[in-house]
Amino acid sequence: MPLDRFADMEEKLWILEDLNMMYIRQIALSLQDSDIQKKIDHEIRMRDGACKLLAACSQRDQALEAAKSLQTCSTRIMAYMSELQRMKEAQVMQKVTRRSSDAGPMDDRLPCKGKVAISDLRIPLMWKDTEYFKNKGELHRCAVFCLLQLGGEIFDTDMVIVDRTLTDICFDNTIVFNNASPVFELRVELYSCCSEDDYSAGSTPRKLASKLSSSLGRSAGKKLRAAMEPGSCSPISNGGATPLLLPVPSVPGPKYHLLAHTTLSLSHVQDSFRTHDLTISGNEECSYWLPLYGSMCCRLAAQPHCMTQQMMSGCLKVKQLGGDTQSWTKVYAVLKGTSLFCYHRQEDVEANVEPAFTIGINKETRIRASEKDPQSKVQNICISNQYGGEEVTHTLTTDSREDTHRWMEAFWQHFYDMSQWKQCCDDLMKIELPSPRKPAPATPKQGSLYHEMVIESSDDLSSTVSDILARRMQELELRSQLGTSPTWMSMFEENNPKSAGRPRPCTSRLSGHSPSTPHRLPRSPVSIHRCPQLGLLSSDASLTSDSDSHCSTSPCTHHHVWPDPSSNFSLLSSSPSRLRPRTLSLDAKLSTLRGRGYGGGGTLQCPCHTPASSLLTPLPMSSRSPLSQHSTQTTLSCSSSTSSNSSSNSEGSHSPESSEGAPFSRPSPARRSLRNLRARLDPRNWLQSQV
Amino acid sequence: MSVNPGQPVVAVVQRIEIKKLRQGENLILGFSIGGGMDQDPGQNPFSEDKTDKGIYVTRISPGGPADVAGLMMGDKIMQVNGWDMTMVTHDQARKRLTKKKEDVVRLLVTRKSLEEAVKQSMGKKYPCYKQ
Repeated sequence: MPLDRFADMEEKLWILEDLNMMYIRQIALSLQDSDIQKKIDHEIRMRDGACKLLAACSQRDQALEAAKSLQTCSTRIMAYMSELQRMKEAQVMQKVTRRSSDAGPMDDRLPCKGKVAISDLRIPLMWKDTEYFKNKGELHRCAVFCLLQLGGEIFDTDMVIVDRTLTDICFDNTIVFNNASPVFELRVELYSCCSEDDYSAGSTPRKLASKLSSSLGRSAGKKLRAAMEPGSCSPISNGGATPLLLPVPSVPGPKYHLLAHTTLSLSHVQDSFRTHDLTISGNEECSYWLPLYGSMCCRLAAQPHCMTQQMMSGCLKVKQLGGDTQSWTKVYAVLKGTSLFCYHRQEDVEANVEPAFTIGINKETRIRASEKDPQSKVQNICISNQYGGEEVTHTLTTDSREDTHRWMEAFWQHFYDMSQWKQCCDDLMKIELPSPRKPAPATPKQGSLYHEMVIESSDDLSSTVSDILARRMQELELRSQLGTSPTWMSMFEENNPKSAGRPRPCTSRLSGHSPSTPHRLPRSPVSIHRCPQLGLLSSDASLTSDSDSHCSTSPCTHHHVWPDPSSNFSLLSSSPSRLRPRTLSLDAKLSTLRGRGYGGGGTLQCPCHTPASSLLTPLPMSSRSPLSQHSTQTTLSCSSSTSSNSSSNSEGSHSPESSEGAPFSRPSPARRSLRNLRARLDPRNWLQSQV
Repeated sequence: MSVNPGQPVVAVVQRIEIKKLRQGENLILGFSIGGGMDQDPGQNPFSEDKTDKGIYVTRISPGGPADVAGLMMGDKIMQVNGWDMTMVTHDQARKRLTKKKEDVVRLLVTRKSLEEAVKQSMGKKYPCYKQ
């Protein structure tokens, strides 16, 4: 009766577990270290919670998450327990050695610890072309995550569902380990679990019935067998030679298996991305198999504490170079990273004032204690560096012999640290902690012709508008290439900005402006007067691109309306070709429209889409009829914008920047070559995108 | 920088780290790109080899994050955060640069002046610089 046997074994395992817990507690007590004890207790509680959740949840993704936490907790428990054992062993060994022989003075220098961060993990996959391109076979999905272990710390990444539409498994998390030694070993383990329809023992899958009624394919049958056999729930199957010290309780539900692993160390640390080999366990027959390419790409950076923290600080006297032998400058010196920073006063350090001077301390620096100064009876410290071909020596001294000794000790320690951390001490590697992301505002992604637009602060529209104008003016001035004020500004000042909701027929707008006004005008009047705030709040990107290439980027073809009167506009006439319908690639067009839909803070760019805000009366479509009467092109572009907006995704705003063609309305001879270049960057010939 | 499909590419690269600038909801880098596998390489004014379908920097917003980081117009982008950029379409390239979850992009770029600088330095009599 195999079932009986399994139940029996389960019971035995639980007893074993209880005994182990007692053993652990005893060890912890004897070590008088309650820290690990607490951690183990915490993890065991977490693990019990995960088990319960797993048993209780019905949804597949919940079960996968719970199983992931279970796996993480189990691994952490293992790690803590092995650490506990090691500590116990060390304690016992110490007692033994103390009894047997006099342990010599512990002369070993210990290198400083550091932070190690791993980020941007990417594992490429290698699907068969029949699977990837031709979509053959069932969609085999797996849930994967990574466990990263360094020292006693174990972290897991988020879980990612992988199927054959993905070319790489990407984990966005940045994991930082805070207390790593230079001889660290970072173990990366990739766990995966088959994420098919629920095959857990207990539920009678309807799909099973339907599958049986049709025929079982080879892969489906494999999966069924894997899921149905009781052995899959046994604790042995948690990937390899894990000791049965505290076995994982068998819980029905999805189970993660080790798919691949690798170990990284100091030699793999670099300030850029590198590829490392993975050792793959499992084979194609396993349910959790994924065709891995065999390597992993990531960024492994390290910040040893000697680079980020002050290793030594105190008052020193530095001899002036080239001055007479008796002139010493008192400084407050701080040893950090690859330099000795010398400040005039100690307060300067906190005040972030620039140091008076800096002495480099790196691998090539030589430091020695010189002969005793006959006057002060204290040894001087000489620091020599090679700058170019020359050797520059700084001489320092302190007030007492003990201080000199301490500084020399600090320098030796610093050199030792740098020799241990090797390439990490050449330059400080940056470690970014992912910024707490604000929750994405609930902008409707599709459908709505009227985008919501928020105007913060007061209800008084006119003051708000002028505030916004003023702000935009400032930002634009800072950013504009030409330093000219945006052209719509002048137009705005002469007209009443409180024209919210007062749509004027565009023809009157048109005639209201003299031909000498700059090119941006054609677009702005309608946009501003229909929805003044929106024209202004449109993204800087689109505004600057407008300043450069005005109508050419916008699919909203107000400018298309004015090809007839275009001769009135001197600038437009200078580049009449601009007004031809653009022959961009479809991709570019779609991304243009998409970009238009999401430029700058979710506000509106396309004047065709009059957004409804609480403060604006929504302009009905009919009010745009004057425009549409002018040309069919307008309505065409409007509708295409709509459809693209409805299908667009929230990929962030990029208004594809088309040409740089005419930022210079009055080219000078000196800029001709630049103009040539810009002319060659005409987007009609060569697509460009702004990022 | 000759590009033979299927052959490994060797180039002198410079690492450039650009911290994205937040503008409202968006993270911008402050430059424009051109090129790609699906574009016409003959139109690229910056490339030496007119069959090079790589991604080139076509414009830098002055004072923007890319400008501050040292990116220059005409640079060819080889890699972005570990992702290859020598064999990508234009849209793929744009997407790789504008991932919302990333605050920093680390580029590997190449330009002619880098190669020349290396050649010049190799001309000096420093044996350690020899390959």
